[in-house]
Amino acid sequence: MRKHQTSTQVRYRRWGTAGGLALAMTLGASQAGAWNLEDAAAPYRGATIRTIGESLPPLEALAKLKGKFEKMTGITVEVEMYEHSEAVNKVMLDLNSRRGRYDFIIQPHRELGRFVENGHLVSIKKFMDDPKLRDPSFQPEKVLYPRLWKEISWYKGKMYGFPFTALNMFTWYRKDLLANPVEKAGFRARYGYDLGPPQTLDQYRDLAEWFTRPGKGFYGTAIQGKRHEALWYEWLNFLYAYGGDMMKTASGSECGPIIVNSPEAIAATEYYKGLMKFSPPDTLNYFWDDVMALMQQGKVFELIMWDDATYAVAVDRNVSKVVGKMGFAPTPLGPAKKRVGQVEGWTYLIPKYSRNQEAAFLFIQWMMAFDQQLEQHLNGGASARPDVYADSRVQALPYSKAAMESNEAAIAKPTIPASPQLTDILVRELSSYLAGSKSAKAALDTAAVEMHDLLGDCAPLEYPVP
Amino acid sequence: MRAGGARLGAFVDRQLSVLFVAPAFVVLLIILVGPFGYMMWTAFTDLSFALPGHDGNFVGFANFRRLMHDSFFWDSFFLTLRFVVAAVSIEFLLGFAVALLIYHQVTRRRLVLTALLVPMMLAPVAVGLIWKLLLQGDFGMLTYYLRAAGLLGTDQAVLSDAPLVFPAIIAIDVWEWTPFVVLVLLAGLMSLPREPFEAAVMDGANRYQVFRDVTLPLLRPIVALVVLLRSIDAFKEFDKVFILTGGGPGTTTELLSIYTYRMNFKDWDLGYGAACAFMVYLVVLILCAVFHKAVFWQEGRVSAPAPEPVAVTA
Repeated sequence: MRKHQTSTQVRYRRWGTAGGLALAMTLGASQAGAWNLEDAAAPYRGATIRTIGESLPPLEALAKLKGKFEKMTGITVEVEMYEHSEAVNKVMLDLNSRRGRYDFIIQPHRELGRFVENGHLVSIKKFMDDPKLRDPSFQPEKVLYPRLWKEISWYKGKMYGFPFTALNMFTWYRKDLLANPVEKAGFRARYGYDLGPPQTLDQYRDLAEWFTRPGKGFYGTAIQGKRHEALWYEWLNFLYAYGGDMMKTASGSECGPIIVNSPEAIAATEYYKGLMKFSPPDTLNYFWDDVMALMQQGKVFELIMWDDATYAVAVDRNVSKVVGKMGFAPTPLGPAKKRVGQVEGWTYLIPKYSRNQEAAFLFIQWMMAFDQQLEQHLNGGASARPDVYADSRVQALPYSKAAMESNEAAIAKPTIPASPQLTDILVRELSSYLAGSKSAKAALDTAAVEMHDLLGDCAPLEYPVP
Repeated sequence: MRAGGARLGAFVDRQLSVLFVAPAFVVLLIILVGPFGYMMWTAFTDLSFALPGHDGNFVGFANFRRLMHDSFFWDSFFLTLRFVVAAVSIEFLLGFAVALLIYHQVTRRRLVLTALLVPMMLAPVAVGLIWKLLLQGDFGMLTYYLRAAGLLGTDQAVLSDAPLVFPAIIAIDVWEWTPFVVLVLLAGLMSLPREPFEAAVMDGANRYQVFRDVTLPLLRPIVALVVLLRSIDAFKEFDKVFILTGGGPGTTTELLSIYTYRMNFKDWDLGYGAACAFMVYLVVLILCAVFHKAVFWQEGRVSAPAPEPVAVTA
């Protein structure tokens, strides 16, 4: 394989120097026409490639689709599915033992820095540059949300894969209740403006308050207050809407000044805790599964939740009582007065220790093609391709518009090696604040100092702690 | 010649016995001493799977120095001690009372014991999951009855309410492990000789005196054993609490084992995590030594003034 790659590169170089642009383009086009998956995969026929990921609908969809690829290429694809943290732990142990059990891995993008900086990954550039492997019709720079791709699968300017999912959070609300004349009249009388979907955080709070009726077992909202990553993700929506962030950086792979204890962040955190009053009593024991179940059972008016959970609430009548009653909108505007969303996703990556890197690349490339992306998206995935969102069947899903708008406003989060530790620190401090052990300022100050201790000089405190 | 043969026999016996014991010894070395030694070594390195450049370089006592100043570690440490003292005391007192009750009052012991043993037979993970459902704030059965009885406000849920969570995990541990205490103490009571009790009654001792001066001293080794076993187990408590609360809300239930888990398997800070794990081991070791000493000291004190056996003086 390597021998061939070298000769191809040499051939290209000759074209470039001798033939001029027109000739190169003509030859390039004929090469493009010639490429097909069966031929490209021929050297790897009979190989078995193994992957690992989170046991959720997007991976289940992949497991269903893979048969088509296996038939076309003769490459067998084995998929291991685990719960979120187990999928991460198994990869961590496999990479550190350098066993090469997995030929490609599907991991949360926040793990990227750890993998890259410890030298566990290969950049996929070498496969993208190899005309034997690269499908010329696959143009990721044109078909993927460029920013999401760069944050989810790139690190420090180098590409390591493609997004398996590009997730986002947005507002879920009960639109049927907003149409109720009694509710409309009552709300108008109390708040002085018309009942409608939450456009701002003030309205979000008012709606939560208005619909909280503990006597009937119905609540305005439900905070994901358990000491769990879900808490941090949820809080980020409010932090961003208030104009705050964890660090002042342009990209997740950078280290920068810590601003997690800024006045905006403190205000956002206090606003967030204010919503606890309108949440069920067990709210400090909830994470994403629990609040999703509350919505499915029709026990809560509004949430800010994940797009990959939306299908089970808005479409699937087998598990949801509120199909047809749901409305979706981007996260309400906060004091920062700008639309916000989150960069979050799982990414395809190829470990250095994989013995079938080329075959793995071919499979990933095939999965990123429109047909597979559409199929995966319609079965509960979250594609990073805008053209998938533009498809009429996707547009028909009630949450597509909100998801798209959120994707376009997505804000990056740290992917540096310490990023999971930063999350752990914030989860602990936010949880302590919600439990009433300390003030918002004290919690965020503690977090800021600990983050600085962990990251060192690259992350000075913008708001020094006395 | 015969003496030489005997010597040879003894020599062969000794060699053979070493040979027979050797496999068990080797297995012990591999599964106990080996990993422990490796953990000790790791505690003196900067090994981290997360941070680049932390490849297991020797850092001396740096991890232990960090540990000394880590307030979260010490909060977890003292929380764990409170958990052990509270849970084991209640389990012991309750278990002893139930064991005495069964010993003196119950004739069909086998039936009662079978029923009592159910919580102990469950895997700790299952115990966690069962109680999580029972205490679930929206539809949990126990939550419903606690609210109906007026013991829990309608705006409260046990696992979401910081002041209630810690007593709740103690109560669940008591539920799970009191039967073990009952079982061991009951076995101890049943194995006691009858003569001292008969002698005490003949001497006119009342029931309290018999309990204090005969039952308790005779049962002392069993009591020490059960308290020791329970203390070690409670100190290592992880599964139930991790499933029920994950250490939260905040750090209200972050026991030392959960803290150590976080260091090792969330942060992958294996050097520091090993130092934390070593501290858990050290405490357990100290507990063992203290209890061991306590038992021996008591036995020594009782046996010291005992008169010479009559048969020898005669």
